[in-house]
Amino acid sequence: MPLIAILILYFCFYSLFSKLSDTRKLITLYDVSSCSLIPIWYWENSIGRHKHCDVIIDSPLVSRNHAVLYRRDDGWFIADTNSKTGVFLNGKRIEKSEKVLVGDILKIGDRELILKKGEPNSFNRNKRRKKRLEIKDISTVFMILITNIFHLLASLRLSYFEEKWNKEPLIFLGVIVGISWIYYFIFRFVFRRSNFELEILGLFLSGIGIINSYSVSSSSAFTQLFALAIGVIFFSFITFFIKNPDFAMKCRIYIAVLAVILLGINLFFGQVKNGSQNWINLGNVSLQPSEFVKVMFVFFGASTLYGLQTSKNLAGFILFSCICMGALFIMGDFGTACIFFVAFIVIAFMRSGSVRTIFLTLVSAGIGLTFILNFKPYVVNRFAAWRHVWEHANDIGYQQTRVLAYSASGGLLGMGIGKGCLKYIFAAPSDLVFGMLCEEWGLILSILVIISIGIAGIYARLCSLRSRSTFYSISSCAAAAIILFQMMMNVFGSIDIFPLTGVTFPFVSLGGSSLISTWGLLAFIKAADEHTYSIRRYKVSFKGKERLK
Amino acid sequence: MRSIVLYFIIFLFFIGTGFFVYEFLMKNKDWAFSSVNRHLSQGIISQGKILDRSGLILAETENRKRKYSDNEKIRKALLHVVGDGCAFIPTSIQSLYKSELFGYNYVTGFGMPSLLGFSQDLTLTLDSKICSKASESFKDKKGTALAYNYLNGEIICMVSLPTYDVMNRPILKNDDKYEGVYLNRAISSSYTPGSVFKIFTALAALDLIKDADKRSFSCNKIKLVDGEKIVCMKNHGKINLKEALCKSCDIAFSDIALELGKEKMTEKMNQFGFNSKLPFDKLELSASSYNVSNSSSGGLGWSGIGQYTDKLNPIHMLKIMGAIANGGICVEPYIVKSMKMNSYFSETKLKSPGLTKFLNTESADKVKEMMRYTMKNSYGDSKFSGIPMCAKTGTAEVGNNKFPHGWMVGFSYDKSFPIAFVVIVENGDFGIKSAGPIAAEMVKNIYNRFKNDKII
Repeated sequence: MPLIAILILYFCFYSLFSKLSDTRKLITLYDVSSCSLIPIWYWENSIGRHKHCDVIIDSPLVSRNHAVLYRRDDGWFIADTNSKTGVFLNGKRIEKSEKVLVGDILKIGDRELILKKGEPNSFNRNKRRKKRLEIKDISTVFMILITNIFHLLASLRLSYFEEKWNKEPLIFLGVIVGISWIYYFIFRFVFRRSNFELEILGLFLSGIGIINSYSVSSSSAFTQLFALAIGVIFFSFITFFIKNPDFAMKCRIYIAVLAVILLGINLFFGQVKNGSQNWINLGNVSLQPSEFVKVMFVFFGASTLYGLQTSKNLAGFILFSCICMGALFIMGDFGTACIFFVAFIVIAFMRSGSVRTIFLTLVSAGIGLTFILNFKPYVVNRFAAWRHVWEHANDIGYQQTRVLAYSASGGLLGMGIGKGCLKYIFAAPSDLVFGMLCEEWGLILSILVIISIGIAGIYARLCSLRSRSTFYSISSCAAAAIILFQMMMNVFGSIDIFPLTGVTFPFVSLGGSSLISTWGLLAFIKAADEHTYSIRRYKVSFKGKERLK
Repeated sequence: MRSIVLYFIIFLFFIGTGFFVYEFLMKNKDWAFSSVNRHLSQGIISQGKILDRSGLILAETENRKRKYSDNEKIRKALLHVVGDGCAFIPTSIQSLYKSELFGYNYVTGFGMPSLLGFSQDLTLTLDSKICSKASESFKDKKGTALAYNYLNGEIICMVSLPTYDVMNRPILKNDDKYEGVYLNRAISSSYTPGSVFKIFTALAALDLIKDADKRSFSCNKIKLVDGEKIVCMKNHGKINLKEALCKSCDIAFSDIALELGKEKMTEKMNQFGFNSKLPFDKLELSASSYNVSNSSSGGLGWSGIGQYTDKLNPIHMLKIMGAIANGGICVEPYIVKSMKMNSYFSETKLKSPGLTKFLNTESADKVKEMMRYTMKNSYGDSKFSGIPMCAKTGTAEVGNNKFPHGWMVGFSYDKSFPIAFVVIVENGDFGIKSAGPIAAEMVKNIYNRFKNDKII
């Protein structure tokens, strides 16, 4: 089993990272005064005097951040970002933003720039592309198949337990397989997408989570399976919703209001479960709204380059963050508040780029933390057990000691799925899920699972460099930071490297809201990949160029 | 480029993961065998057998239950060696060798099916019948009896009292009957030595005082040292070292301690293994102590005859007996004779962990002769049915109006029957009266057991 897992992860990441390498000039700008060509690599480019700009024009008549040249599905646009001397398109000063065509003359300060085509978009290239797509299809199908085989092997071990056959795990497996193939066919043939690595990774991890929950109880596995289906739909919805970053920018404020309302409902109608008041009961289903607020938080924090250049201050975002974290503290969900804080740091740094701001935030957070520790004694309690769990094996270190003892019992290869003892401990399939994986699936597989999320984080960072908008860059890094940090809190909390906090392991932990919101976050990383919308983009831009001729 | 902040989190994550893997590799045994692990207590995983030297089963797993010897007397006698399966006796084989018995290793964890498992069967050097007889001969007294082969290190007998039957565990109230029941007294206790300490004093004298065995000491029953009284049993008059050991003259040995002084005595005792935790199997023994740094002269005198604050560990004494018998060099005692993994592997034979030179050969040989003289003239060879032995008894005053602890230590003179023994009976009255018969019976049993069987 670990071998199959290595195979899946290798294929996923190999194909993820291999396509990162192909880069080409999108267009070029011809500088009339110096007779030089300036290549444009990104979908969103800042133009100005500042050394951080993508196109640096060193002239006293140019503002630090003068303009933004960006690309959308229907062509290129130039936008003036509150410059002093203005931007002129074909001799006319533009108000806000204006569409630019090949051959148009842009006047920025005292420089004149002519928009030219990038690398030729020949038929040859198209043929190559087609061939690559075919290979890609085969490898995607192959990857989905081996993921299915992996889940099949795991379910079989549950099915044939103690010399008795049980069909139920195989039915669950059937649904997981069904979800993956339906998703693949819809998006391959209806929406003509070609990349499915992130989704396969998500399905691989969620499948492990469902099978693991099944070894605890079949009803919880059912909830988890249901959440997976909703999560995949939610994922698809978000990828469509943020397809146009300008539209998404307009929605930000409504999303923020919705988030605050959700938190408000939670505060007033929430139920207290296990020390924190973050559950809402809707008939048979209970939800954790704070999980969904994570997705909204990332959404609100992200911004296009135009948005960034025109509104430099972070006030709105800081206010929103304070409301979110404040509400979480009142609810007593200390772990989730920490995750929000990390997401806040990542977003704030990516938006402002200033180390000083981050430093100040950290200091003020440190002061805030000491206050909280004074008021919330149970949090202090957790810190008291930290790194001393064996001395508290029967009170506050109860869960951690069990995780350590049972993960050692599992060894590198595991005791076998369903044969563990950790599942009888409170909150095992959610907070202590890493321990369960270690015990039943083995240390090698558990480490593979967490490393796969770590590598997905690296991938998110790399593709954020080349994404179609800073909106995607910021949101994908923030989403990756949330997923990674949440996993760290969960895993390291249960093995006594961090103090234990009751947060979930993304994808794997038992918890419907958590699974759905993790899929939501994954959508942001997916969106940052410039290939996600590539088929459509190719068609539109081709038509557009034809029209130009 | 600002997204570099994400790398920071990823970096932290990899450090944390690496740290966990490192901890896992270092501490996996501690974690797996911690008392919180229900895999162990539920008996899901089968453990290897424990056998005595003649192949009798002392413990085995059958139908997911740990079973012990069929014989109640053997179960009781070997409780402290075999263990009770609940980790109450941390010095027992089932605790010390749990990873071997359970077949634990960090690669497969406990996940291997028992047929293919790595669990090992252990064969001990002990003879269960001799142990059960020795244990019985204590009757209701507490204490410990040890015997080992001083040429190859195999422990033949090791019992500790009080004890109970693992298969019918009594309710262990905090009463006197079961006081310290989980202690293997041979390993985890140190007793006031009384007169057996005179062996050490004699060894120190022979090492440091020229012609110590030729000079004479004068005993007038009572001696005053800086106003403190040291009292002897009798007025021995002029007496040499050999006679002093034989008659256990207190005045002579306190004189030696006083003559050598605190520093030399402490130095010598440290050399003989006092004040340090000596190794035994995978353990450290409870330390024997000799500390006169704050004593008055009277205290120093008493320390030379095994009173004052002197403490002696039984296995330490056994090692010294082996060393005297063996020209100053102790063959370290050991208890696990061999290990055998499942039927696909051959048996791994174990050996004594090595030799330790505690004593000068010359002094050891002289003390050996003195102890032989003591045995012949003070106790009589008839006690051991004529087996030529060297021995010394001790009666350690423990205060509180309780009976003194009785000691008898010794070894066989003849190397064709190489046995050294230590017997302690707590609050058992005079050594020769309490420990003597137990020691004699044990040695005779061993002699009969190995009469037709090669002992080495």
